[in-house]
Amino acid sequence: MDFAIPEELTALRDSFARFLEREVRPLEAGVAPELARGEAGTPAQREAAAEVRRRACREGFYTAHMPESVGGWGLSALGVALLVEDAARSGLTLAGAAVGPPNPAAPSPLLLGLPPALRDRYLAPLMAGATTMCFALTEPEAGSDAAAIRTTARRDGDSWVLDGRKHYITNGARADLAVVFAVTDPERRARGGITAFVVPRGAYAVPRTQAVIDDSDIAELVFDGTRVPADHVVGEVGQGFRQAMGFLDAGRAAIGAHCLGTAEWCLDQAVAHARSRTAFGRPLAAFQGVSFPLAESKAEIEAMRWLTYHLAWQVDRGGPATPDSSIVKLFDTDRAYQIADRCLQVFGGQGLLAEGPIEARLRHLRVLRVVEGASEVHKLVIARALGLA
Amino acid sequence: MRIICPVKRVPDTAAKKAVEPDLTLDRDGVEAVLNANDEWSIEEALRIKERTPGTEVVVLCVGPEQAQQTIRKALSYGLDGAIQVSDPGISGSDASGIASIVAGALADEEFDLVIMGNQSSDARTMLLPAMLAEYLDLPALTYCTKLDIDGDTVRAEREMPGGHQVVEAKLPAVVSVVEAINEPRYPSFKGIMAAKSKPVVVKDLQDVGLDAEMVGLEHAWTQVLEVTPRPPRQAGDKVEDDGSGTVGAKALADFLVARKFL
Repeated sequence: MDFAIPEELTALRDSFARFLEREVRPLEAGVAPELARGEAGTPAQREAAAEVRRRACREGFYTAHMPESVGGWGLSALGVALLVEDAARSGLTLAGAAVGPPNPAAPSPLLLGLPPALRDRYLAPLMAGATTMCFALTEPEAGSDAAAIRTTARRDGDSWVLDGRKHYITNGARADLAVVFAVTDPERRARGGITAFVVPRGAYAVPRTQAVIDDSDIAELVFDGTRVPADHVVGEVGQGFRQAMGFLDAGRAAIGAHCLGTAEWCLDQAVAHARSRTAFGRPLAAFQGVSFPLAESKAEIEAMRWLTYHLAWQVDRGGPATPDSSIVKLFDTDRAYQIADRCLQVFGGQGLLAEGPIEARLRHLRVLRVVEGASEVHKLVIARALGLA
Repeated sequence: MRIICPVKRVPDTAAKKAVEPDLTLDRDGVEAVLNANDEWSIEEALRIKERTPGTEVVVLCVGPEQAQQTIRKALSYGLDGAIQVSDPGISGSDASGIASIVAGALADEEFDLVIMGNQSSDARTMLLPAMLAEYLDLPALTYCTKLDIDGDTVRAEREMPGGHQVVEAKLPAVVSVVEAINEPRYPSFKGIMAAKSKPVVVKDLQDVGLDAEMVGLEHAWTQVLEVTPRPPRQAGDKVEDDGSGTVGAKALADFLVARKFL
């Protein structure tokens, strides 16, 4: 077994670290007072994030996960995971805008399933960072049970007509286009009866946003006789459910890496605080009640690291990612949340402040245990692999 | 046009450094990086290449086998090829020794310009560009903050105490650059991958017309007599403000007045 990170990926991480320091940190400083007040999603933060995205597009980091044929780097899943980890570990709130995954607003390989002319129209602006997208699968009556979606698409001449309602759509309030999953064959549903469509903003309604713990751009999308040309099918008719699951599966290593980097950052902060803060005449680090939870966190971080890198390695080899992708999603989101909680505890009252280093991360990590397959769904997948369900 | 960029493998500036019994730097015990000043010379060479079609930029590095990593890093910025001079006899050479090796490596090379950082972050002698120009019998334009190539002439602005000079020379010439000249780009993944397959010509002392009696620690013109670690920084005075700003502001003003800054 060779656990060494390939030399070229180490060189890439070095390049990315410089980018974060030189390009992102100064922008972060501009919005730091707002972040310290616990304000999220302000116009200044949106503009700063858009500027990070533009700069990262210019340098190639934002689209590194996309194939060279459309202007990306064709970076391996392991390479993408390392960049995602490093962005999170930097502690820079804006760093997440510098890499595409796991953010569904970034250009998705799903769009490679479009005809060439539509790739130019929809994918090219995404690759340039000029637009963003969203992934519209979840519905009010179909969350964990994604195959139960009710949005329909019926063929009418040269068009498809979509009717239905999507909700909890990340970046739904801002996206310039949506990849929408709809039932095209009610008899077959998940087995060849669900199709993906690319639908431009303006063809559907966004009646309301749905502010959640750490994001105000979640939105409801409504399709009421929305007509899209027949060539707006993403991939093949009837293959949408397989595409949706494949998309989510491919993103698990990136979510795992995001959790890993966030947990590492929390631990870095807690260790520094434990070493510098004194109580009862001694550094906090001298109390095992403080040092042992941090030692446990380190052990769990290493477990997260190798589960995540291993999943990325499997994806790069083209091997089966199930149930490993579920194991990573379940374990990394759960452990990262627990680690952030322990690290917050080390800071005591300071940990509860919005301006503290952990509070916003803890809220964010709580979200990740629910989205893109709740932990219970992933337990179900793992149980099935054990022959238990 | 053909440009040579000499670069150096140096210990990471953030690393704690140790000294060998012979007072040379322990280079194996610390992580090594590409000398930061050489990134400015590489960037400047690349900008000339982008403005001047047909330009080839070659990196030149004197260093042991491990220096291949430094060479790949330099190539990842988009350079075209590399020359490495590697020989056990080079170890411990001073600035003059290294300058003679670089000059020897360039003796059979065609080039129009040598662009290099003004200093290395480990030795900091700042001697090499001028010494190299002397060995090559070429004009030296040092401490440059701006470069323009016009036909067979290089025009440069030189950083000077209290101002700057504008100088020019006929090509070929040796140029050293300082931080103010540019902001280096980031190596892209394409550049990193391409660097793996770019040609690296490895030469030894004999190939560059020298032998071990001319370079190395024993034959250095300069000798390090003593090495003393920098004393630890003294703790400064800490002023706690009461939140109004007046306590801190008064302490700061008193500090400046006491030292006659105000």
